[in-house]
Amino acid sequence: MSETKLSESSEVVIRTNKLTKEFIRDEFHVIALKDVNIEIHRGEFVALMGPSGSGKSTLLHLIAAMDKSTGGEIEVLGENLNRLSDTQIAHWRNVHVGFVFQQFNLIPVLTALENVELPLKLTNLKKAERLEHATTALKLVGLGDRLGHFPRQLSGGQEQRVAIARAIVTDPQLILADEPTGNLDAQSADDVLTMLSRLNKEYSKTVVMVTHDPHAAKFATRVRHLEKGELLPEGVTTTA
Amino acid sequence: MFKNFPLIVKNCWRNRRRTTLTILSIGASLCLLGILMAVYQAFYLSDGAPEQALRLVTRNKVGLAATMPQAYEPKIKALPGVHEVMVANWYGGTYIDDKPEHQFARFATEADKLFTIRPEMKLSDEEKAAFLHDRRGCIIGKELADKLKLKDGDRMTLIGDIYPGNLDFTVRGVYDAPIDNGVFYFDKAYIEEGLPDRRKGNVGIFYVLANTADDVPRIEKAVDAMFANSPQETKTETESAFALSFAAFLGNVKGFLMVVSAAVTFTILLVSANTIAMSVRERIREIGVLKVLGFTNAMVLGIILGEAILISAAGGVIGVFLADLLAAGLRHGPDYMEQLHTLHITTPVAFLCVAVAAFIGLVSAYIPAFQASRIPILSALRNTD
Ligand SMILES: Nc1ncnc2c1ncn2[C@@H]1O[C@H](COP(=O)(O)OP(=O)(O)O)[C@@H](O)[C@H]1O
Ligand SMILES: [Mg+2]
Repeated sequence: MSETKLSESSEVVIRTNKLTKEFIRDEFHVIALKDVNIEIHRGEFVALMGPSGSGKSTLLHLIAAMDKSTGGEIEVLGENLNRLSDTQIAHWRNVHVGFVFQQFNLIPVLTALENVELPLKLTNLKKAERLEHATTALKLVGLGDRLGHFPRQLSGGQEQRVAIARAIVTDPQLILADEPTGNLDAQSADDVLTMLSRLNKEYSKTVVMVTHDPHAAKFATRVRHLEKGELLPEGVTTTA
Repeated sequence: MFKNFPLIVKNCWRNRRRTTLTILSIGASLCLLGILMAVYQAFYLSDGAPEQALRLVTRNKVGLAATMPQAYEPKIKALPGVHEVMVANWYGGTYIDDKPEHQFARFATEADKLFTIRPEMKLSDEEKAAFLHDRRGCIIGKELADKLKLKDGDRMTLIGDIYPGNLDFTVRGVYDAPIDNGVFYFDKAYIEEGLPDRRKGNVGIFYVLANTADDVPRIEKAVDAMFANSPQETKTETESAFALSFAAFLGNVKGFLMVVSAAVTFTILLVSANTIAMSVRERIREIGVLKVLGFTNAMVLGIILGEAILISAAGGVIGVFLADLLAAGLRHGPDYMEQLHTLHITTPVAFLCVAVAAFIGLVSAYIPAFQASRIPILSALRNTD
């Protein structure tokens, strides 16, 4: 899991070229992303900031191949995402990407352990191995004593930590988080951010996190700003 | 796909009340379907008792009320493959009064042939001998004897209608038989002795016993062919088929069974489709989450269909149990529905029922499940119910 610092900084994990996303609904055309060029390297923790509606989530969705771009190119972990079939993308995401949502999005009828086990059902692991991996992931996020709890029996902070465990259980290279602290109190938010930071530092995960909270952005190793669908030059911040 | 079974089960149980109600309504419908299938099987597919397979019934082509000349008897008997022929006449009459418990089938037959034609009747040799020696004797089925509280030696009177005059009988035997266990038999010589000549020798039914089951189809054709174009043409059929045509006065049993079955099936289809559509709608967002985790459209489809199949099959299992209880009740049905007395939910019918239920679950859920599985991830995630 751990890599040398050298390879972390050299390998490009995400590369976009004039990446554009246009939403067309009836007469309305919304350009959510316009000619975005970004390179994110292995082992980086990048915060994407910008005002609401600036295209942060859209960019993250394209990186996760949850949506298709309408222009430009995007290459993630060496894959040209525009060329993969739906089934290939599903498999690719299962193996390489962990996604953390603002609303946690745990399955309510499943326990913490079962929620975390879910992505492993798509692997060849045996039941016992799956449970072992899931338990390890939950211990890692400090919830080793909550395995049998259902989401409704957990606090928001705990739910989000279960979601992080679910995102890392397949040991993906890339962790994507869309406003992961948006629904949390300050303390829980710090716990979650510390955890993402640890995953980045100790386990060399590449993390891309969308946030509009400057405090959250401090946990990142690099911050990039978006405004009206355009990526601002490195170091330039928005007013919002 | 079995890996997802726990998730499927938990999804089913998400809305317990709805799932329970769905399972119960499918169970109730399936119970009805099971009974209909069992009735259908009993009426149309079963071979009947082994003795029945060798017996044919010849009657006037015009209908059950019309008669045939006694002279047919030796002619039928002479046909190859025929072992024995017995005359049986429906004797109407009244026993005590018109109350339903006093209604039963009464046949005037040739007593000396009865035990050859119906070897499945169980009664002691003494009883048989007593019956054969008493022209005014009768034998009755055990079911009937129990109902009327009659035993050997008891006396009973039938009040005539089709045939004039009252007849006094002594019960000479109580037989047990798997079928026709409620019939009253007496010697037709008893009524004929009081009849005017023009009414003698009229036969309602000839029971024909074949040597082997292979002879049956040939005899069936040969008898009717022999009397074709005569003033009294005949209709010959196997005893089980005859029993059916007897029941058929209720209407087109077959068509009725089909129509009701179709209606029941359609009902389950709607119930199941509705449940799945509702449960899917509540879960669009979770479907999006599953896909983010790497589940493909096909897997999501499988999970939803699995849920529908599980619910319907559970309903099917409950339905089979209910049907089995109901069948036990129907076994005590009216005598003219002879087949009902052996009504059982057989293993094939039980399996068929559950399979039909599962299949209906699959079909009903397919469209909502397919649509849900195809919703793009982001639309699904945006969904708030
Ligand atoms: N499915 C969609 N249909 C139409 N417009 C959309 C859709 N998704 C996002 N948008 C628009 O794209 C722009 C960027 O959205 P988003 O990436 O969600 O912003 P952010 O995450 O920065 O708040 C917004 O103007 C939003 O209204
Ligand atoms: Mg957003």
